[in-house]
Order: sequence, then structure tokens, then C-alpha cells
Amino acid sequence: MLFPTIEFGIFFLIVFTVSWAVRWTPHWRKLVLLAASYFFYGWWDWRFMGLLLVSTLINYFAGLALARTERPVLRKLVVTLAVTGGLAILGFFKYYGFFLTSLSALLEMAGLERDLPFMQVILPVGISFFTFQGISYVVDVYRGHVRPERSLANVMLYISFFPQLVAGPIVRAADFLPQLHRAPVLTRAHVGVGTVLVLSGLAKKMLIANYLATELVDPVFFDPTAVGALDLLIGVYGYAIQIYCDFSGYSDIAIGVAALLGYRFLENFNQPYRAASLQDFWRRWHISLSTWLRDYLYKPLGGNRRGEAKTYRNLFLTMFLGGIWHGAAWTFVFWGAFHGAMLAVERHARRKLDEFAPPNSDPVGIASAVGHGAQHIVGIFWTFHLVCFAWIFFRADSFTTAGSYLAGFARWSDPNQYATPFLVGLIALAMVFQFTPRDLGRWVAQGLQWLPSPVLGLILGGGVWLIWAVAPEGVAPFIYFQF
Amino acid sequence: MLDLIREIEMELEDGWEAASRVELQTAEHTRRAVARFARALWITAALLLVLNSARLVTWTNGFGVGPVQDTVVALSAAWNEQMGRAGLGDPSEAAREKLDTWRMMRWSDVEIRLDDERQRAREGARLLRGMLGEETG
Repeated sequence: MLFPTIEFGIFFLIVFTVSWAVRWTPHWRKLVLLAASYFFYGWWDWRFMGLLLVSTLINYFAGLALARTERPVLRKLVVTLAVTGGLAILGFFKYYGFFLTSLSALLEMAGLERDLPFMQVILPVGISFFTFQGISYVVDVYRGHVRPERSLANVMLYISFFPQLVAGPIVRAADFLPQLHRAPVLTRAHVGVGTVLVLSGLAKKMLIANYLATELVDPVFFDPTAVGALDLLIGVYGYAIQIYCDFSGYSDIAIGVAALLGYRFLENFNQPYRAASLQDFWRRWHISLSTWLRDYLYKPLGGNRRGEAKTYRNLFLTMFLGGIWHGAAWTFVFWGAFHGAMLAVERHARRKLDEFAPPNSDPVGIASAVGHGAQHIVGIFWTFHLVCFAWIFFRADSFTTAGSYLAGFARWSDPNQYATPFLVGLIALAMVFQFTPRDLGRWVAQGLQWLPSPVLGLILGGGVWLIWAVAPEGVAPFIYFQF
Repeated sequence: MLDLIREIEMELEDGWEAASRVELQTAEHTRRAVARFARALWITAALLLVLNSARLVTWTNGFGVGPVQDTVVALSAAWNEQMGRAGLGDPSEAAREKLDTWRMMRWSDVEIRLDDERQRAREGARLLRGMLGEETG
């Protein structure tokens, strides 16, 4: 069930009405939301509901076991078993085919061809997200950041809550579980924020992402040798905007829907293309994943506490594994490794620059301010293009396609077919919103929250109607569903 | 009898302890916000049902074959026809046509439009100057 569909509209109307009708008995409310979440997940493929349940039970019982033992060795064993169990499920469903294909190719290269047990394994939607949420719960209980949850319903709802189940944001147990212990609350602010986020998410996905995908990105990436350099350049800019609007649109709707049900999720995107460095970019892009990788991978590896060389290694490893998390293909591995390597280079360069010219040594004055401003603009431009370069590998189905894409940048004399005013306008519009005040959405929400319900209904209904009226035919799935 | 009164008093005291004034206010705010947004949602649904009936037909056509499904398909088709007759599908078509015009636009069209705009601005300025001239003359 995709968010921008009639099915989801009816589903949400029922869930909203029933869940708030039973709010006086919080236990029933949780059960209603839990049933709705499993129904939502089963809509794709009911067989995977069992997998979701098994993954949840592993984490639930691990939490209980951690509550009952004080011995460090046993606690470490429990957390290791639970994390390994979760990763084993994820590894089988996501990487089994990739692993065997790569192994087969390697054996073939070495002249040792073997019959390997190939199987057609269907990737359950959202598996990467609910596995990471489960790991977050067990590790937080182990670290003492979260109390072990005695209620199975609470853990099940935390892992399967439908707004974030299939494509995030990756919600932390420490953020969500305490909300389940409080009486559900809906305020005017929740309604304002929810309405703005649902409408902005729908517009990003249905208008910007879908038009860019169907009219620019898909044809350009299908055969990069058939188009000139300008089309390739617009194509990669288009993909940068498409993936942002697609994924942040999904996150907006998820956060908005959760807000309307009385729950608060943290933001997942913060105008990422205004970042002036890669480090800044990763503080703004898919924030729930980058903070997850920081807290459960980068820091346990040692973070930046064990010397420069190990910091670079940890940065590289974290991003490399982040790349693999995105998908079982070598292009994703390259994408992650590239980001990891560039983060290490950037850190090293900054360190050297700081040694050469300490940050506080500049005289205060107009010339200095202009210099900093120019440096910031160059930083934004440079970071955006580094990110775009990596997106080519992320989007291309193989290294051959990515290679053809890059080689095509030499064909500047070829005429352009895809750089139409409409598509360029969509890209420019999305880029403008990267530089608007950060609180713009909040201001609009504050305006909406005091409107009477008929006006709010007309704005919501009118917005959805207009988006549906002008959006391309059909509903394309969200990009991050495949991860 | 006195025991009964005592029980009622205890129930009341327990009740006041369990729900503070702040909690009661929050519950009341929640009730109002839920009712307000529920009304907004129903208005949204009604608006979409009226203005976007064509999408309803597309959606119901995706149902399988069966007596209930066939009835729903027939009902949605009849509803869409009625909305079409009343002219309520026109705003969707107008919005779609407008967007299609933008989609089909080439850079040469943009140049022509810009030239037209410049021409109009020039004519406006000339007219204004003429009027000013008449007034002062």
C-alpha cells in the first residue's frame, strides 16, 4: 500500500478514526495500531508478516534476557546473538543472491567453476529498516539507554508502526517507546505540522520526483550513449533532485501521518544540498541512518578517539557498510566507499588547512566576511557536484552504464533533448527550497493550526486534488522501498 | 449508608489524584483536535469524491471480477458520469491542460513569451508616458 493512493487514504481514515475513538484505553489503542501496521505490511505480501514477527521476537526476548542478567559476559553474549540473528535474516534475504553471483564470478575467473545453490529470494519490503530498528532497541537496552520493555505489544508496535515500517525514518527505541507509555495527545500543532508535511511530501513525490523520473532520469540513464553532455548533466542533477524529493517526500508523509496519530518522529532531511562539506551533507541527508551508523558502527569502531589513521579507517568502513546497506550491488559498494574515502580526505584536508591557517586567526572585517562567504559558496558547489558524481554510480545499473555516463561528458557538441524549460524549472524550484529559511514549513503549519476545520479540509482536499490532477498517470513506488 | 458515602468520596479522591487538571485539559484539547481534523478529513474525502471521480473509476476498474466488485465498478462509473455532467470534472482537466502546456514548452516558446512580455511592458510604459504627457500638457 503506497502512501499516495486511494487505498491508503481509506486505510488512514479508518485508522485515524478508530485509534482516536479508543484513546481512553491505551492498551486497545496500541492493539488497533499494531493490527493496522501488520495489515499495512501484509498488503504487500502477507507471508512476510511472519518474518517481521520473528525479527521482533528475537529483539523482544533479547531485551528481556538483558533485563534478567547483570553478568557482563552473558549480556554481551545476548546482544551478540540478537544482533547476529537480525543481521543473518537481513543477510539472507538481501545479499544471498549477490553473494553467490559474486562468488560464482570469482570462481570462474580462477578457473574453478562450481554448481552453486542459487535461489530466487524475494526481498521483503522494509527489511533493512525494521532490522536496524530492532538492533537499535537491543543495543540501547544493553547500553542502558532504554529500559527493557516488558510489553510485547509495545516492542511489536515500535518495530512495525506503519508510517515508518517500509522506508523509515529509522526511529530509535529511546525516542519512541517512552511515547507509548504516555497518554496519546493530539494538539493543534500536531494537526498543522501533519497537514503541511503530508501535502509537501505528496507534492515532492507525485510532482517533482515522478516527472523527473519519467521524463528525464529514466531515459537518460537507460542509454547514456544516446545523449549529449548537457542532457547527461541535467540528468544527474535531475536524479539528485528526484531521489531527494522521493525519499524526503516519503519521510515527510511518514512524519506527518505519525504526528496526526499523536507520535513524534525526528526529522530525516534538512535541506541537504545546501551543505558546504560532505560532513555537513551527512548531517542533513537521511539523518536517521547517518546517526544510526554513527552510534552503532562508527563509535563502536573507535570513532575519532584512537588517532587520525584509525579515524579515517572508521569513516571509510562506516560509509562502505552504509553503501552495502543500500543495496546488494557493486555500484552501491562503490558509492559508499567513495563517500567514505572523500570524508576521510576532507577531514585530512581540513586538519592541514587548520594547521596552516588556524580558524580564529583571521582579522575581523568586511574582507574576511566576503572571503568566508565565497568559501562557503564554493563549498556548496563542490559538495553538490561530489554528491552528484556519486549518484551516477548509485543510479546506474552497472559499472558499464556508469562508465558510459561519465564518458558522455565529452560530447558537448551533441544537441540536447531533455533540458526542457519544464524539467529545468522543476530542478530549479527544488533547489530554491534548499535555500529557503529552515523554519518555512513551521511558519506555514503555525498558520494552518488556527484555521477552522472546513477551511483546513478545503486546503487539504484542494491540495491533494491539485496534486493528483496534475501528477503523471499511475503511482511509481518510492526508490527506498527496494532497500 | 455512611460506608457507601465514604466509598464514593474515596472514588472521587482517587479520581482527582489519577487525573490532574492539566491532564484533563490536555484530554479536552485532544478531543477537540481529533474532532477538528476528523471533520477536515471528511471534507477532504468529499471534495476528492466530487472533483476527482475519474480517479475513482480508474481505481475500481482494478478490482477483480465478482458481484460486489461489478456493482462497485458500475456505481463509480455512474457517479463519474453524473459529476462529468455537472461539470465537476472540468477543473481537473483544466489543471492538467495547463500543466501539459508547460511540459510541452521549448526554449523558443519561452523566448517568444519573454518577447511578448517585454513588448507589453514597453507599450504600457508608452501609454503611461502619453497619459502623463496629456495631463501635464
